This record gives sequence, structure tokens and C-alpha cells, in this order.
Amino acid sequence: MVLTNTADVAIPELAGYQRRLLIGGAVGMIASLAGLFMEPTQFLQSYLMAYMLWLGVTLGCLALGMVHQLSGGGWGVVIRRPIGAATRVLPVMTGLFLPIAFGMFRLYSWTNLDLVAHDEALRHKHLYLNAPFFLARAAFYFLVWNTLTYFLNAWSLEQDTTAEPGLARRMQKLSAAGLLGYGLTITFASFDWLMSLEPHWFSTIYGVLIMGGQALSALAVLIVVLVWLSRRAPLDKIVVAAHFHDLGNLMLAFIMLWAYFSFSQYLIIWSGNLPTEIAWYLHRLQTGWRAVGVTLILFHFVVPFLLLLSRAMKREPRTIVVVAGGILVARLVDLFWLIAPEFHHAGISVSWLDVVLPVSLGAIWLGCFIGQLRGRAILPLHDPGFDEALGRILEKAKAERSAAAH
Amino acid sequence: MASSHSSQGTPPVIAPGHTFGTVTDKISAIVLARKTPIGWYAGFAAAFALTLLLLVSLTYLVLKGIGIWGNNEPVGWAFDITNFVWWIGIGHAGTLISAILLLLRQSWRTSINRFAEAMTLFAVASAGIFPLFHTGRPWLAYWLLPYPNTMNVWPQFRSPLVWDVFAVSTYATVSLLFWFVGLIPDLATLRDRSQSKAGRIIYGMLAMGWRGSSRHWHRYETAYLLLAGLATPLVVSVHTVVSFDFAVSIMPGWHTTIFPPYFVAGAIYSGFAMVLTLAIPIRAVYKLEDFITMRHLQNMAKVMLVTGLIVAYGYMTEAFIAWYSADKYEGFVPLNRLTGPYFLAYWSLILCNVAIPQLLWLKRVRTNVPILFIISIIVNVGMWLERFVIIVTSLHRDFLPSSWGMYSATFWDWSTYVGTIGLFLSLLFLFLRFLPMISIFEMRTMLPEARVDEEAI
Repeated sequence: MVLTNTADVAIPELAGYQRRLLIGGAVGMIASLAGLFMEPTQFLQSYLMAYMLWLGVTLGCLALGMVHQLSGGGWGVVIRRPIGAATRVLPVMTGLFLPIAFGMFRLYSWTNLDLVAHDEALRHKHLYLNAPFFLARAAFYFLVWNTLTYFLNAWSLEQDTTAEPGLARRMQKLSAAGLLGYGLTITFASFDWLMSLEPHWFSTIYGVLIMGGQALSALAVLIVVLVWLSRRAPLDKIVVAAHFHDLGNLMLAFIMLWAYFSFSQYLIIWSGNLPTEIAWYLHRLQTGWRAVGVTLILFHFVVPFLLLLSRAMKREPRTIVVVAGGILVARLVDLFWLIAPEFHHAGISVSWLDVVLPVSLGAIWLGCFIGQLRGRAILPLHDPGFDEALGRILEKAKAERSAAAH
Repeated sequence: MASSHSSQGTPPVIAPGHTFGTVTDKISAIVLARKTPIGWYAGFAAAFALTLLLLVSLTYLVLKGIGIWGNNEPVGWAFDITNFVWWIGIGHAGTLISAILLLLRQSWRTSINRFAEAMTLFAVASAGIFPLFHTGRPWLAYWLLPYPNTMNVWPQFRSPLVWDVFAVSTYATVSLLFWFVGLIPDLATLRDRSQSKAGRIIYGMLAMGWRGSSRHWHRYETAYLLLAGLATPLVVSVHTVVSFDFAVSIMPGWHTTIFPPYFVAGAIYSGFAMVLTLAIPIRAVYKLEDFITMRHLQNMAKVMLVTGLIVAYGYMTEAFIAWYSADKYEGFVPLNRLTGPYFLAYWSLILCNVAIPQLLWLKRVRTNVPILFIISIIVNVGMWLERFVIIVTSLHRDFLPSSWGMYSATFWDWSTYVGTIGLFLSLLFLFLRFLPMISIFEMRTMLPEARVDEEAI
């Protein structure tokens, strides 16, 4: 059966895309190196933003994959392999953390010991916010994420070849523990890498906000990938409108969650109006940055929310792909909002690096992703839950097509 | 969804061997035919006695004022708000099971949704008593509503206490409608099967002329789905607003941004714990093991495990950020909880809400009904302690040590609390006796012969 072929055989043009994306990404990165020499802090700031976006896609896929291991459900069947491929980009993303590790003395003001010595709050936090511990924590986070990725993918591959039934159970157990590990590590990683850009500020919901954002970025990318795959054999005979409907609903749920978390944080801090907390919003809302905030409300919530309420919009690949692409851009703007104002307190400032770096890093990410996608079959055929779900999907696809033909 | 298919290893949502007829017989007989068990009378009598205690407590409260409670300066909120939040939280499971699980196409919800919804209503009724009587002059409670009046009294819309009024009353209304609409086809079944004239008249009136025509069913399905959509945001909004009651203040231990999602998770946690606490004895007494199967109990245990972990995550972030904030008052809160005069309450809360529920990771525990029952009660206690700790330990030592104080509950605090448990149980006993506790027509759709090829929505 054609489904057992690897994606490479089924979709031969993948290799070309992979090469072009990697070359394009490399060219973009080399061009942006000019920025590193001209304005190193700006480079690092933009790099952190670009990195958090694509790391978010990677880890969001890891988390969604683990959720699907536990929850099951038709929505995950067709994106399981793209999810796996996305998580296998993690080793590359681990290496790409190095610029941040080397640049931490420019990015994070708490690394400046003179400043810390004269600031009582920072002296208090020095126990946590200090360079060696920061790096040790980062190493630990990557260790956890890479371990999870390694075993989940290795077992999934073993399942492809041996169809051993016990593997599904083992993956479920690891996923349960893995979600716990993901939740804890990403919380502290978001405190370390993003929240501590303004070391005086703190918000307990921050980790949750970043987690929701990662899941949303991952869903947006997965939807774009699935639309692309569904136009080619073999998935054109398998992916049906109901899949996009389910994924669209999930994306809608995460859009609402993001708005809920963000609004809760804002309302609570606005209402308390305490100096250490409100400062974070003051230099965002009383300067030119306000425009970015309004953009986020409109394009990270209102517009996608209204569009995704429509059933037709979610079921039509041509429209859902536009919404998903737009959401990915909005995710970037959200990270821009979290990061950039800490470096430009006076007012809005957009650099060419804020565009070139996310795009080049994205090209590299996609190139690696396609490379990982190529090596395995496009559907995991031997998962016991999947055999059943897949049978129903194939039937459904047949029925839908015959209905469309009439 | 895969959930409606019982794949290998998963127990079914309805035991094999049932037909349309046996399902209807078995559930409707509890109300119409079967002799009311003596245990029902005993249970109802005990619960009603406690309800009378509630009436006495509230009467005395109105006569004397809220000074009969232990509330004081600085602990202005104590048992009253603790109990309010506890009851509202319990009420969340009903709507979650009915609305969200319906929209997520989790068909296993079917046999537990009816009484979970009833539980919601009774919990909300119990919850409402506390803020109402805490005002001291409950007959003036309508001042909380914005209406044109000659006194120029207008609610302060920046106060979450006013949002509470709207959130809770909307929630109560929608939950009631949702429950009642879901009952209509079953009320018609009872009307048709009732042997007594009174039964036929009363159930007949409540069934609102239901004839079971396809047009009725079509409209019913539309209305039910719309109500589910309407109820879904309410599950989140009510406890979010309750968390704002605390979080928008600047009280250390209250003012923290994680409160909204963590309160919602806690509400679902306690709600599922209460559904288990009730479902386990009910299924044993009324022999409903065919309908409330191990699958239901296991799934509820899993929801409890997940929401319990979210709650634990909330405790952890709260404590970490309290230290990280470098704020003296914030940093003092976890220390005071861990080692202050209420340390016992805090450690018991961690034991009940975080430590013991970890047993639910084990399948052996999730399938052991008596242990599950005990854990569900422990979680109920833990969630009550959580609210007590949040409210009292934050208030009793806030900023100025010279204005620190202590709180201890009086007899009337306890009697009012226990009284609302009595009210809750009395209403529940009446519900079990007079209404079908499991949705008859929805259970029939769970049978294999009802399965039409599922349409992908």
C-alpha cells in the first residue's frame, strides 16, 4: 500500500524545498551577521524574538503530541508525523541557543554585577538570576526536552517497523510524565529568558501565557503544513474538511486562552497599580508601543476569533491556511511586544533584523523540518488507536467525495 | 471521536445486554415504580435536620447581626467567603460535564451529566446564601443591582463584587435552563409511564407538551447545543470573577496574576471530586453500575489528577514568585502559611490536594472504588482548606504587625456551613426521588442499536 512509503518517496519535491529553504535561511543569517557587528544588542534582541518563536513551534508540537498520546482523537491522526518531525528539529534549536548564551551579558541587565550591587531587589534575586545558574538551568531544560523528543520519536519509529503493541502504552506513560516536565521547564525557561529581561517585574501567569502561545504557534504551523500536504498524494485522499474543522476549533480555543490569560494579567496589574508591576505596562502603553498593543488585541484576538467562529472558514483549506499564517505572524508580534520594549523604553523601534532574523530562522527551521519529515511514512500506520481511527477516516473521506461528486 | 468507540481495554459506557426498553425501565422505575428505600428516608431526614439548623442559624444571624460569626478586623472575610467559593467551585463540574464535554463529543458524559447538573444548581443555591447574608441586611441585597433610584445609589462597577452578582446570577439562570431543557423529554417519559393521576398532571405540566415528534427533537437538539455553547464561557467566567474578588486587591497572597486559571482549575477539581463523592454511593445504592461504569469513574479520576496538578502548579508559581518578587510582604506570605499559626491548615491542604491525589497516577487506585471515594472526599476537604488558607492567612497578617490578628470560627460559623451541606443534600435527595437521575433518552442513544454512522460535525 502506498501509505507505507516514506514521505520522501511519496512526495519527491520535498528534497528540493528542503535545499532551497536551508540555503535561503543560511543567506539570511549571514546577511544579518552584518547587524551583529553594527548593533550587537539589537541583533541579540531580534534573535531572541525569532528564536522564541521557532523554539515555541518546536516545543508546542512536542506538547501537543504528548497531549494527543493521552487524549487520542481524530484531530491528531493526520498531524502526528508533522508533529514528530517538528520535535526532531529540537537538537538544531538546542545549538541555536548558543548566541543567547553568549549574548546574555548584553541581553539581561541582571548580569551586570555593578548594577546588582546597587539594587536591593536584584541583590535578593541574585541567588536565582546569576550567570552560572542561568546556564545550568538552560542546559537542564534542553536535556529534558531532548530526552522526551528522543524517546517518543525512537519508540514511534520502532512502532512503524515492528508494530509492537506495548509501545503505545509506553509512549502514553512517557507523555504523562513529559507534560508535567514540559509545564515546569517551560515556566522557568520563560521566567529566565523573557521575564527577566525586566528583572524587577514579575507575573505568576507568565509561564502559562508562554505555554498557550507555544501551542498556538505550533497549531498554526501544523495547519499550514497539513494544508500543503493535503494537496498532494497520499494525504489528498485522507485529509477531509473535518480535520481542518477540528484543528480550527483547537486554534480558536487557544486564541481565546491567550486573550483570557493576557487580559487577566492586565486587569489584575492595572487594578493593583503597584509601582513594580505597572511599570511593565506603563512604558508599553504610554509610548508608541501602544500601537503594538492595539495590533495584538485586533490581530491576535478579535479578527482571528471572529473568523474562526465561521464553520465554512474552518473547513475550507484555502481560508484556514490564511488564518493560520496570520496567527503565526501575530505570535511574532506578541513576542516582539514582550521583548522589544525592554530595550527601547522611549518608544517604538523596529529594526530590519526584526524581520530578517525570524524569516531566516524560520527558513532554517522549515528546512530541517522537511528533512525530518522525509525519512518516515506520512501516517503512523501501526498505532493501535490509529488503525481504528484511520479506517473511519478513510471511509468518511470516501463518503465525502462521493457526496461531492453527486 | 474515538471515545464513543470502546477500543480494546477500555470499559464501555454502558454495560452490555441492555435494550431501549430496559434502559427506560430501569431509570424511570427508580422514580415511579420502585419502593422508596428506607435509607432514602433516613438520609433525607438527616439532611433536612441540618437544613433546619441552617434556618435557625440564619434567623439568629438576622436578629443579632454578623457579629455572631468569628469575622473581625483584620479578618473581615472568613468562613462566609470560604464556603461561598467552595460551593461555587463544586458547582462547576455540572456545567463542565454537560456543556464542554458535550461540545468535545465525549459521549461518556451521558450518564453523569443529569445529576452533575442538579448538583450544580444545589451548590450554587448553597453558595448564594453566604454573600447574601454576609451583607448583614439581606433584604437590601437588591442594592447591588444597577437600577435608577432616588437615593443615587449606583453599584461600583470597578468592584469585582458587583461582577460576582452578575456572574453568579447568570450562571444560576443558564444552568437551570440547561438542566430543565435537558429534562423535558424524560419528563414526558415519566408523564406517559406514571400510574398516578397527580404524577401524570405534574410531570405533564413540566413536560411542556412534549410529543416526541421529529420537529420537537430537531428544535430540542438545536436549543440544547446553543445552551451548551452559552454555558461554556460561563464555566470559565464565574470562577475567574471569583478569583478577581481577591486578585484585583493589593493584599499579599491575593494579588497575583495566576489566580484566574488556577481558580478555574481548582473549581473543576473540587467539582469532579464532589461528583465522585455522590456518584459512588448512588450507583451502589440504586444498582446503577451498568450505567455509571468504571469508565466514568476512571475518567473522572483522570480529570481530577490533571486539574489537581494544575492547582499544584499554581501553589508552586505563587510561592516562587513571592520570593522572586523581592517584596517583603509577598515573601512573608508563604513563610507565614508554612510556619505561622495556621500552618496546620496549610500542610493539610498540601497533603489533601497535592500529595494524596498523586495516587491517581496508578490504575490500581483509579479502578478501586472505595479508595476513589475516600480520595474524592479528601480532595473536597483539601479544596475547602485551600480557600480558607488563601482568605484567612492573607488577611490575618497583612502589612502592619500592629494590626495583625487571628480568626477562629464560632459555633454559628460552623452551623451555617454544615447547614448548607444539609440544604444541598436535602435538595439532592428530593431530586433522586422525583426526577430521573440519569438522562433516559440520552442513555438510549448510547446503545449499539442506536448507532448510526457518525457524522463529522
